[in-house]
Amino acid sequence: MPPKKRKAEAAEAEVDGQEWSGGELSDADTFKRLENKFSLVGHQKPRHQTDGASGLFQNDQASQPLKPDHASRPMWVVEDGKIILESFSPLFPEAQDFLINIAEPISRVSRMHEYTLTAHSLFAAVSVGHTPDEIINRLEKYSKAVLNSTVVSFIKKSSAAYGKAKIVLKKTLSYIESDDPALLRQLLQDPVISQSLADSSATLITEAAPKFGQMMIPGTKMAAGANQIAQPELAAEEPEEPNKIIAALREDDEEEEEEAKVHSFQIRSETREAVIKQCWEIGYPLTQEYDFNNDQVNANLNIDLKPHAQIRYYQEKALSKMFSNSRARSGVIVLPCGAGKTLVGITAACGVKKSCIVLCNSTMSAIQWRTEFLNWSNINPDDIAVLTSMEKNVFPKSAGVLVTTYHMLAASGKRAHDTAAALKFIQEREWGLLIADEVHIIPAAMFKKVTYSVASHCKLGLTATLLREDDKIGTLNFLVGPKLYEANWQELSQQGHIAKVQCAEVWCRMAPEFYREWLNTTGSNSPKKQLLAVLNPYKFQACQFLIDYHHKRGDKTIVFSDNVYALTKYSIKLGCPQIHGGTSQHERQLVLENFRNNPAIHTIFLSKIGDTSLDLPEATCLIQISSHYGSRRQEAQRLGRILRAKRRNDEGFNAFFYSLVSKDTDEMTYAARRQSFLVDQGYAFKIITRLEGIEDRTDLFFRTLTDRKELLTEVCLAKESDAAEEHIAGDTFSMNLNKRKKGGARRTAGTLADLSGGAGMSYIEYNKTKNKELSKSKGVKNNFIRKLNSSHTNAKKRKAAGQ
Amino acid sequence: MSASSFQALDYLEQLPVQTHRKLYEQPSTVLAIFRCMLPHLAKSIVMALLYMPAPFPAADLDAWFRTDSTQTKRGAMFILEKLHITVQKQDDARTLSYELYPSFASSLRQALEGSGSHRSFGVPSHKSEDKRVSVEFLDSYSQRQWENILFYLVGGTVGFRNAGGQDIGTGTKNLLQMAGFFHHGMITREGFTFVLRDTNAQVWSLLVAYLRNAPQLSMSETDILNFLFMLGSLELGQDYSTATLSATQLQMLEDLAEFGIIYRSHKAASTFYPTRLAVTLTSDAGALSQGAGSATGGGSTQKGFIIIETNYRLYAYTNSLLQIAILSLFTHMRTRFPNLVTGKITRRSIGRAISYGITSAQIIEYLDTHAHPQMQKTKPFLPPTVMDQIRLWEYERERMETTQGYLMREFPSEMMYKEYVQYAKDNGVLVWQNDKLRMFFVDSFEVVMAKVKRDKERTQARTMR
Repeated sequence: MPPKKRKAEAAEAEVDGQEWSGGELSDADTFKRLENKFSLVGHQKPRHQTDGASGLFQNDQASQPLKPDHASRPMWVVEDGKIILESFSPLFPEAQDFLINIAEPISRVSRMHEYTLTAHSLFAAVSVGHTPDEIINRLEKYSKAVLNSTVVSFIKKSSAAYGKAKIVLKKTLSYIESDDPALLRQLLQDPVISQSLADSSATLITEAAPKFGQMMIPGTKMAAGANQIAQPELAAEEPEEPNKIIAALREDDEEEEEEAKVHSFQIRSETREAVIKQCWEIGYPLTQEYDFNNDQVNANLNIDLKPHAQIRYYQEKALSKMFSNSRARSGVIVLPCGAGKTLVGITAACGVKKSCIVLCNSTMSAIQWRTEFLNWSNINPDDIAVLTSMEKNVFPKSAGVLVTTYHMLAASGKRAHDTAAALKFIQEREWGLLIADEVHIIPAAMFKKVTYSVASHCKLGLTATLLREDDKIGTLNFLVGPKLYEANWQELSQQGHIAKVQCAEVWCRMAPEFYREWLNTTGSNSPKKQLLAVLNPYKFQACQFLIDYHHKRGDKTIVFSDNVYALTKYSIKLGCPQIHGGTSQHERQLVLENFRNNPAIHTIFLSKIGDTSLDLPEATCLIQISSHYGSRRQEAQRLGRILRAKRRNDEGFNAFFYSLVSKDTDEMTYAARRQSFLVDQGYAFKIITRLEGIEDRTDLFFRTLTDRKELLTEVCLAKESDAAEEHIAGDTFSMNLNKRKKGGARRTAGTLADLSGGAGMSYIEYNKTKNKELSKSKGVKNNFIRKLNSSHTNAKKRKAAGQ
Repeated sequence: MSASSFQALDYLEQLPVQTHRKLYEQPSTVLAIFRCMLPHLAKSIVMALLYMPAPFPAADLDAWFRTDSTQTKRGAMFILEKLHITVQKQDDARTLSYELYPSFASSLRQALEGSGSHRSFGVPSHKSEDKRVSVEFLDSYSQRQWENILFYLVGGTVGFRNAGGQDIGTGTKNLLQMAGFFHHGMITREGFTFVLRDTNAQVWSLLVAYLRNAPQLSMSETDILNFLFMLGSLELGQDYSTATLSATQLQMLEDLAEFGIIYRSHKAASTFYPTRLAVTLTSDAGALSQGAGSATGGGSTQKGFIIIETNYRLYAYTNSLLQIAILSLFTHMRTRFPNLVTGKITRRSIGRAISYGITSAQIIEYLDTHAHPQMQKTKPFLPPTVMDQIRLWEYERERMETTQGYLMREFPSEMMYKEYVQYAKDNGVLVWQNDKLRMFFVDSFEVVMAKVKRDKERTQARTMR
């Protein structure tokens, strides 16, 4: 849903958070209804049986006539919109380029690729300039069999509905624009829309269509040498002479398209939401575009890419879809982790050259975004501000870049004085571009709240994994925009843009005493069961073995565990530093710096806060010991941590991804589900049932029965709350799912000492974590970090003094 | 020598010496055995002995071989002796020597020289060229017949609605049942092994079953074998007279026609045509795989039509119901196009196949032999992760080991229990024991019963005294 709505009402919304929970339900219904309306399922004809084997197939299209030269054509189109493409056909490259525009990639492994046509993908196709006839003709060209009539009518219907009309912000005024005046007249007939008109005379404005291809994407070769070519001013006729225009319009109807024209009518900005909704209802969803070149109201931002910043071809492809038509289009760009999403965002900001707000999912990544902005663009460091729970800055000039977290904007309740001031600053401005990093994790309700409070002309969502287990990803189509581009993982890794990864699933036998306890524990998803599986001594040994093995190869290893209790156990036992939700910001920075620069620290343990947007190019090996059920997204995000490995272009270099799984537990089934996304991207998980040489090792922990029994006792004594997965405050993850699930009261068993806070009174540390060691020993801390820290504090002081 | 003729060789080896002797009277049989049953070395030895006037001393034969190859030589000689082709002789001086069995030698000489009776290689009829049926017709006929049989086995299992187009004869049904391929309307493990093999091997295994079944139908084994070996030497597209055939062989014609091995225009026809299945019986060339596929227009049995990806999706370029049926034994099918079917190999689909009695090795072999040319660009053809996973899915189900046996319990005293456990352990029949419950499990009842009996006698003797 085009979310620029309600800019005027945004302030109200912020005051009353409850209003949204009520309004949300009706919206969810709308989403659902619209999705159903435009899905292919409803279109299918009843299946007709052709022979005995038909019953085996979900889709039997054996009767579809084959073209005589089918061998030289590369693809099949299924009735339900699925497309199967031969990658070994000579026509493959052009067919692939075409399909990525019009369909969603499902699997791109090696020989056969699968795509699926959806209403949203067709929406995206139309919005970047494909016509329905072109789509059908080209599909017919590549298809081996005659195109199914169901598919043809689906394409016609969907593309007729989508992208015909656009909603444009021009000089901060909202217009509905289309190149088909008949359609606009039809819209004007609608009671809701006609009431929203700015000018009650209900006239259409006609002007010359902007020409394509005038936008230079910064950082491309074309733009590198030449100065930005002055954008031709569009003849922005105001509706001062309505009669003349209508006359012109009539002429236009007769002499077919001598010159491309666009027609529009203006609506009152405050009615945007109502209009957009109404357009959905009547089947003409509006595209959102931002004519930033003609926006003279908002101040320009002096920002350009530095000369050394060269964007890669796929980044250019993605951006050219965003910027075609010399306007900025809202949408989502999907690139694998490590393929340079940040640079795409920065380039987009350089293209729009207006105030820009960047939303990230954690404070750590907010800091990284700022650094990247300074790295790649020539923005004045004063113009870029970070707003987090620790730093509360805004930029002083009329335009700038603000980096903040979703959490900062979304949290309701009473805010600290400076936070409130900063939020007010955000809400009172008009933003040219909103960049939503890791857009997949944001629950719709929260995202709406955030986007309502930020009035932005254009939204760019960035993600590696457009996946959610709860099927809410579809709503992003409405909240941000269609998916503009999705890169092919295998292709990027073959070209060396992301690291090649060897994936393996290591099956660890359950220790008998642990398995007995596991079987005796009731409840299939009980935290204790999970803890038993994670702390399985054989898994521990496998982990230790792999860490050692990769340390000897010179790899730097990240170990992921969702379970903080297990994470702490492992890291203390193995003497490695750890980061989880409870680790302070300072400590996090310290551990990460050490991991980057200190050769003595070759392994770190991360909880799920490390899943996304953590930039560790040193890491070349990843071990996962516990995970969030069957989350495909988490698996892909974690893999992303090693895709940007620094050494990726070394000859024969491979990064390693291990998933340790306790045999005969739920972890096995979850593992298969988790991998399904990556497997469809062409990653092959090798199953290792036995680690070569692990029996000969005598230095592994838990080799004796007494050790194992001791561990088992500890696990059994662990409190329920320890065993449960961590809930991280301040990060967007835990906000969503856990909240509204149960309305009732929550009962937990605990001692009185716990409740009164007495449990934490005596503080003795027997098992010191490595983190403590790092912060204490001055020797480890190197000069660079000290300098970094001191410059940071100095800057703060200076700022304080300045104010 | 192809893998398919091993079965025939196995069968031949088991035959008694009398049958061998009878068989060797037919030059066509002798030639066929020589051509396709014998390993190369054995062939050389036979050729060397064939025109030798006197028995060949064993010592001289040994001199032909290097000392490090005696193992190979012994293997070749073993087969020759088992088939009673060579005969060992010992003269007065106790020197060992070999000679060919006389009728084998004379038949082979006849076959090579073309002398003697020609009837053994079939009698071509004298029809004019245009009255004969075409090779293409024979190919499609034999393929249809043969696939009907396979389809009968597979179709019902995978739930095709009207399993198979045409039904197969009762005789064939009985034969399949007798061969152990089909049992109570369900395909058996052996049946799957049969279906997943290449055509030539399938033909031989069915024929071997046919031979085993022959005595019950009062058919002469020798006649059958002679006829089969003769078929192998016939020419495709030529029709042959039935006049020279024995009663058994005339009876066979009907059955073989149903298998698609020969073709007759009608039941009382005086001639028959061997099909490609027949003429390739004694050659290494694949029966339906070559020629036949192209003849039926990109037909089903062409080699290499399966693509399997690392995400376990399977794409098969086929429109043959039989192949679809076979694939669906271990694949979850999804979409069908005129020239392609797609599906996915899942844990459940493999599990189902294994519960039918198919092994992972069979599945992998099937996928491997039918890998699409695009798959054959890599070595190995199949993605290793997929092969591993299929195997692991099989092992997953094989964690339980069952032993047939007897549970011994209710021992009156601890002492007696211990004594019996010890006894069972000593005799190697103990499988499991539980001292607390005083019970144990043995896989042989007799051993323990013997002791029970002995003890009883002893106590009885004691009470008597």
